[in-house]
Amino acid sequence: MPIEIPKDKWPGSVQTVTLGATAAEGGTRTKTVTVGGQTSMPFMHFEAPAPHPPVVAIEIKSKRPEDWSPLLAETWGEAMDAPAKWAAKAQEAGADLLVLALTLNDTPESAVAATKAVLSASGLPLIVFGPGQVEKDNELLVAVAEAAKGEKIGLGICEDKNYRTIVATALANGHVVTARAPMDVNLSKQLNILITDMGLPLDRILMDPTTGALGYGMEYGYSVMERLRLAALQGDRMTQLPMIVTVGFEAWKAKEAKVGEGVPAAWGDWKRRAIHWETITAMALIESGADILVLRHPESVALIKAAIAELIPA
Amino acid sequence: MYIIGENIHILSDKVKEALANRDREFFMEMAIKQVEAGAKAVDINLGPRKKDWDEVFPWIVETVETVVDVPLAIDTTNVDGMEAALKTIKKAQPILNSTSAEPERLEKVPLLAKKYGAKMIALTMGSEGIPVEAEARVNIAIETLIPRALEVGLPIEDLIIDPLVLTVSGCQQYCPHLIEAVRMLQYAWDPAPNISVGLSNVSNAVPNANRPLINRVYLAMLMGVGLQMMIANPLDEKQNDVIRWIETKDTSNPLGRVYNKIADRIAAGEEPQVEDFDLSDPEQAAIWKTTQILLNKVIYADGYLNQ
Repeated sequence: MPIEIPKDKWPGSVQTVTLGATAAEGGTRTKTVTVGGQTSMPFMHFEAPAPHPPVVAIEIKSKRPEDWSPLLAETWGEAMDAPAKWAAKAQEAGADLLVLALTLNDTPESAVAATKAVLSASGLPLIVFGPGQVEKDNELLVAVAEAAKGEKIGLGICEDKNYRTIVATALANGHVVTARAPMDVNLSKQLNILITDMGLPLDRILMDPTTGALGYGMEYGYSVMERLRLAALQGDRMTQLPMIVTVGFEAWKAKEAKVGEGVPAAWGDWKRRAIHWETITAMALIESGADILVLRHPESVALIKAAIAELIPA
Repeated sequence: MYIIGENIHILSDKVKEALANRDREFFMEMAIKQVEAGAKAVDINLGPRKKDWDEVFPWIVETVETVVDVPLAIDTTNVDGMEAALKTIKKAQPILNSTSAEPERLEKVPLLAKKYGAKMIALTMGSEGIPVEAEARVNIAIETLIPRALEVGLPIEDLIIDPLVLTVSGCQQYCPHLIEAVRMLQYAWDPAPNISVGLSNVSNAVPNANRPLINRVYLAMLMGVGLQMMIANPLDEKQNDVIRWIETKDTSNPLGRVYNKIADRIAAGEEPQVEDFDLSDPEQAAIWKTTQILLNKVIYADGYLNQ
């Protein structure tokens, strides 16, 4: 019996956002990354093919992180001591773009130095995240935005407490902002309204809906993202932004990924478990509409990129 | 519309202060104002008063009954306080506000209502919290609240079901379900139980400037499905306009037409349509946007009117 697959046709579409600027566009990137543009729910190719599949960013830090899992230290080795080396190694590992995460110990000078080092070492588009403390983020990101003028980098974290400063510097220096709200559709949308009210066009905003790792609230993040994406496709302009999720940050906080000793033997091989924790979290979130996955382990990157390739029809 | 005036509420700083000073004049004036504005009953929510209930509840009842004759709704979780109020009330048939379907409250409050011949508001909320689906709320009424009223011998006419309004800011998906719950409850029993809602809950956590508009539009929708009783601010004149326009089917002015249209659409099981509104009129455009928020068509954000 022939079965007719029901198809949804949506009135709205996701905004496209491009990160990075090549020499021709006033920057020094060797490539740019464009996300968004979907007119259907994730991977519903039979309804409407997505013009831009999800991409993978690798997160590197401005200073060697002391609190990261030994598994990550083992794989990145000495590169973790120098953002330039780390950036080059991340590019080799298959990153589509890079996320440079600054720390509370950074000064505007060290943040600018790290940003410049990464921009020289790799031609990939870049997103720079502050340490997540409003005042420190403002201090560091304004300096970084000015130093990277023309490169069209992403600036985060832009939240309700500091969006004015971050949006102003993004406007002045031609960058993109990543708008983060705490896992709440109403607050995500409100922040997007506030940011666009300042005059930043929609094609320069990514939204970070905040997520949790597998076992740590992932389903809440999933539902929020799904709801935002459904609203976007229904035509709600202020939810039509591509979504970035910090999967590595969340997954490697989980005990199951972070800890190798003192856990039940039934949990199995630590490295395998940890990489799966990151990969499965990422996998679930691309199904709910994530456009940019920020990951930490190169093997997770390889696994998720293979999975994305498989999900896209030839 | 039978309005139970909500203004004597301990969350108000003025009420808190007046209570601390046992300011009889303040409470008398508040009661009179509400009744003069059309309130058919006056809600009294001074909190549980765990330490001084045996003094406060009789005091407030005596104070308010000095100046108004309408029923008082005794709004507290303190059952001893409720009883102290009931013993003092001399005028109209009081309303107990409220019981839920949680076993402990459902055990005690209906017995009090029966003993003192009071009406009783019963919330469609069990021990597991508030159910999302309209059907689940109606089921709590049919399976738990109404049987308990019958069991203690409380006439259905004295039972008031409150299917629980939740805020559009954070619980937006519940807003359409509540409308359907109000519609369905009227067919849930013969005779139909009374239905009341706490209207302004729909705009909890919404910036103050937008609250009255959200309340009014939701009210029009709820009147469309037959709501005849609510706990609300009787002094809100624009809200009273909406009630009057819909009750008298007054379409002689643009806003009256729009609010009646909303009520008619919802009554017919339809959704308001953009062509029902003259979007060149900013007030009507705001009402249209508010219908979309309340029906969960567009995600709520504090700045939704500017979108």
